[in-house]
Amino acid sequence: MACSSIWIVIPAYNEGKILRDVLRELLDYNRSYHIVVVDDGSSDDTAAKVIDFPVHLLIHPTNLGQGAALATGIEYALNEKADVIVTFDADGQMCPKDITALVDEVLNGGVDVALGSRFLSAPPVGMPKTKRITLKLAAAFTRLTTGLKVTDTHNGIRAFRAKYLQKFRFTQNRMAHSSEILSEIVRNKLSYREVPVSIRYTTYSKNKGQSIFNSINILFELFTGGTK
Amino acid sequence: MTPIKIILIIFLLIVLRAFLVQKSLILTNRIIALVMFFFLLFLVLFPSVSTFMAGLVGVGRGVDLIFYFSHLFLLFLIIGLRRRTVVLTDMVTKLSRAIALQNPHKPHDENAQMHEKAQ
Repeated sequence: MACSSIWIVIPAYNEGKILRDVLRELLDYNRSYHIVVVDDGSSDDTAAKVIDFPVHLLIHPTNLGQGAALATGIEYALNEKADVIVTFDADGQMCPKDITALVDEVLNGGVDVALGSRFLSAPPVGMPKTKRITLKLAAAFTRLTTGLKVTDTHNGIRAFRAKYLQKFRFTQNRMAHSSEILSEIVRNKLSYREVPVSIRYTTYSKNKGQSIFNSINILFELFTGGTK
Repeated sequence: MTPIKIILIIFLLIVLRAFLVQKSLILTNRIIALVMFFFLLFLVLFPSVSTFMAGLVGVGRGVDLIFYFSHLFLLFLIIGLRRRTVVLTDMVTKLSRAIALQNPHKPHDENAQMHEKAQ
């Protein structure tokens, strides 16, 4: 594991308030991670807050959406010869310790992709009931349309063996990219496994996160084909 | 002349002007715009003609015929605009990504550099 280059891609849009804490926690946990933050055209000081951290920073000149920011970060990590690429959220909901388990699945568990799921272990603390129901419905929809046996489809923490990401086509700029990543796993016939992760529902993340009404938007984006 | 005819004619003139002031508009499209203008002007001045045309295709009233056709026209317009938006979004995405990837801020922290060297 020591010789594998592990890249953490963090898309960030107006996360200036919390991003430093998230990065500090990540770096305290494991300093050998290469971190690339993609500032997705934030209107706040997200980029300025990151500049003195030992991380790679990419800045979109305009706001494109989380999916597009992830794709940019992934392309950068691939150019930098990453072995494993992990996607991670900027809002402080995710625990750095979960990265180890996900990366381990990819490096030693014999799968191409490890997906974080908040429904495999004890029920997430502080998760609003409506959110829980929406996510379960989204997972059921994905199981039906892609045939993937997953329990949590809109979880932003995942680890990929980097070489497979080269074949991925990212067309969903905005939130429908979670579903797109799953269908790309199917299209590329990759092996995958879900790994239990914990998600912290803080007041900040609840306010920043997806409203359940947005699931309708996600469906709309999928049916109308995003940017393609 | 009824007030509605005057309103419609003024509106048609505004639309025609909006078309013709575009310097980039090619001659064919200028002619199409003019023909459309005179055709619609004709229908406004002589509404009974549209009712006659409606009768030919099995629609009761001329107004209904125009209603149906304008809906179809708008639908095609929306599809065309959407396609254009998709193309433009794709271009903006590619441009933004290229700009972001060309100007990376690399880590300059001492520990990070030591780490980079050690690898």
